[in-house]
Amino acid sequence: MNSNIFYLSGITNDPALSPQTFREDPSQTAQRPQWGNSLWYARMVGGSSNHFTANYWRLHDSDFKERSLLGAIAGTGFADWPISYAELEPYYTKVDWDIGVSGLAGACPSDPPRSKPYPMPPLPVKSSGALLERGARKLGLHPFPAPMAIVSQGYRGRPACAHCGFCIGFGCEVMAKSSTLYTMIPEAEATGRCEIRPASYAFQVAMNARGRTTGVLYYDAHKQEHLQKARAVVLSANGGETARLLLNSANARFPQGLANSSGMVGKYLMFNQGAGVHAQFEHELNEYKSVQVTRILHDFYESDPKRGFYGGGGIDARMGPNPAIWALAAGGDLPGFGADLKARLEAYPRSMMSTAHCTSLAVETNSVSLDPVLKDAWGIPAIRVTYKDHPDDLATARFLQEHAFQIMQAAGAEKVWKAPLRLARGGVHLLGTCRMGEDPASSVVDKYHRTHDVPNLFLCDGSSFVTSGRGQPTMTIQALAFRAADHIGVFAKRGEL
Amino acid sequence: MNPTDGDPNSRRSFLLSGGGLLTGVWIAAHWPAIAAAAQHAAAASEVPAAAGFQFFSPAEAADVAAICAQIVPSGATPGATEAHAAYFIDHALTTFFAAWAADFRPGLNDFQAKFRAANPAADAFSRASSEQQIAFLKSAEHTPFFGSMRTLTLLGMFSSPKYGGNYQTAGWRLMGFVDQHAFTPPFGHYDRQYTGFVPYTDKSA
Repeated sequence: MNSNIFYLSGITNDPALSPQTFREDPSQTAQRPQWGNSLWYARMVGGSSNHFTANYWRLHDSDFKERSLLGAIAGTGFADWPISYAELEPYYTKVDWDIGVSGLAGACPSDPPRSKPYPMPPLPVKSSGALLERGARKLGLHPFPAPMAIVSQGYRGRPACAHCGFCIGFGCEVMAKSSTLYTMIPEAEATGRCEIRPASYAFQVAMNARGRTTGVLYYDAHKQEHLQKARAVVLSANGGETARLLLNSANARFPQGLANSSGMVGKYLMFNQGAGVHAQFEHELNEYKSVQVTRILHDFYESDPKRGFYGGGGIDARMGPNPAIWALAAGGDLPGFGADLKARLEAYPRSMMSTAHCTSLAVETNSVSLDPVLKDAWGIPAIRVTYKDHPDDLATARFLQEHAFQIMQAAGAEKVWKAPLRLARGGVHLLGTCRMGEDPASSVVDKYHRTHDVPNLFLCDGSSFVTSGRGQPTMTIQALAFRAADHIGVFAKRGEL
Repeated sequence: MNPTDGDPNSRRSFLLSGGGLLTGVWIAAHWPAIAAAAQHAAAASEVPAAAGFQFFSPAEAADVAAICAQIVPSGATPGATEAHAAYFIDHALTTFFAAWAADFRPGLNDFQAKFRAANPAADAFSRASSEQQIAFLKSAEHTPFFGSMRTLTLLGMFSSPKYGGNYQTAGWRLMGFVDQHAFTPPFGHYDRQYTGFVPYTDKSA
């Protein structure tokens, strides 16, 4: 009962209409999970940028070439990206300015180089951020103001954050969260060259005999089928649904699924493992006010072979969930009933979380495939998730959790305790299932997000990721999208579409 | 789908119902008035707790209320009784959690039977002494029925009042949560003390 509640909200994909199945490894028969769905996203115009927390971390230079830096890792598809940080940097800056990111350039000593500062200052520090900073500085670490896609001051017609505290899991009521629903989409519509068809569901990519896509088949809100013709098609349905759409578009030329001559569509699913600690302090923090995160640190970002395992991550200070969810379980270590339980509930304003956001290795068997039996409410084969963390992912999460624990102790917490570390059963960061690469035999899209197999079909979302980064992938997804759009424009002008 | 779907009284749909008219500047200028109006709309949609029990018999309702009162007792701050958690559970099992109703009643009746077997002198859980109730709940703490009761009690205390519990925000008052649409810094004790971000001079991170 408890776990269902975590995975349901008014705007997420509904397990009743769009069910999925889950298994740990390919030898098992996947089942519908008790907890709802494994892959969780906002199914609406603007997608998961509506309900996200809005942490906007750039990848570091090393993220793009870790395979070269660290060597192969047995049993994984650990690989370099075909692009560098330098190639993506202008587009990260475009995200900062066009989407609207608050932050302090240069605050983190290990920040990758940037061509421009943030367009606006960081959001006001919360007590959780002040405490993380206090504890981390005592330990010689380098906490800094969190870059957030939430505007700290009026920006391009949107007002500053009202600090209502309902970011995670909710759309922003004042439009201060830089969701694409409030940024790119109205901007695109204003050009007169973009039409949004809400409540539509693309279920198949149409192809012609020459091996080119001719458009997309979709259902409208009344389950009427339509074909939208197109010179070029860009799929950005997330790391779960983009792979599913290709697999459901199999045809005589592509019997394994569209653009899948490599057999890689759906493979190398990554979630970003992580871990949290709960802390209780003497005085009130009132974490239910304002945004989730105001301070983070990247001291453990890089993978260090001396640790004995691959991986790295960032640590943040955050409120955690809103009252009902907090009371149910997320407060951690809650007594069953009675005066003890009540005393812990009353400590809610004095409580916070510090969470670690970590790597997940690309493992070929971790995947999105089509369930052989289950169909969704439209009769389309459902997603089957196969996933088991690589042991290094768990070791990394445990390592960072221990550091978060020590930081909270150094900050002067009355009580600190670790949330149980569990095998990932799903996630909200849906990465890696149509990976980018130079070699058509081992990747799905090229460095311009063009599928190796279909010259006028592009994929651009979390599915393009080659490695997982350290969490907070949206900023990179958007930078990749701006970059892909530039290149698609060039291809169109050259008459290649 | 968009955020205006669903409950027409939700504060989100209230805010977005004006579509393009609601520019950011307009919202910023009118925020306190909008918040007050949205609050009123939310309050108006609260389920009247005094409507009586629809799902439970009077004896079942009394036992459910007594279990709720032991899960989060009353005292200096409100407990499950003041939050009308039992009414929330009754309402939930006839509406949005109706799918759980078929399992819930047998679980409750089994709980009642086992209580009577363990306490032959007491005719109902609700009429037993607090000590007897606590002792029995400890023995039942790991049963699925108690898990459901605990989940529903906590939801009934801390969910939005529009779902039928958290009467007059009793649960949020217990928890120190202030239901307000906007806040200004400082938010708490430790950021009030914070003196500003000091840049690093070393580059070792």
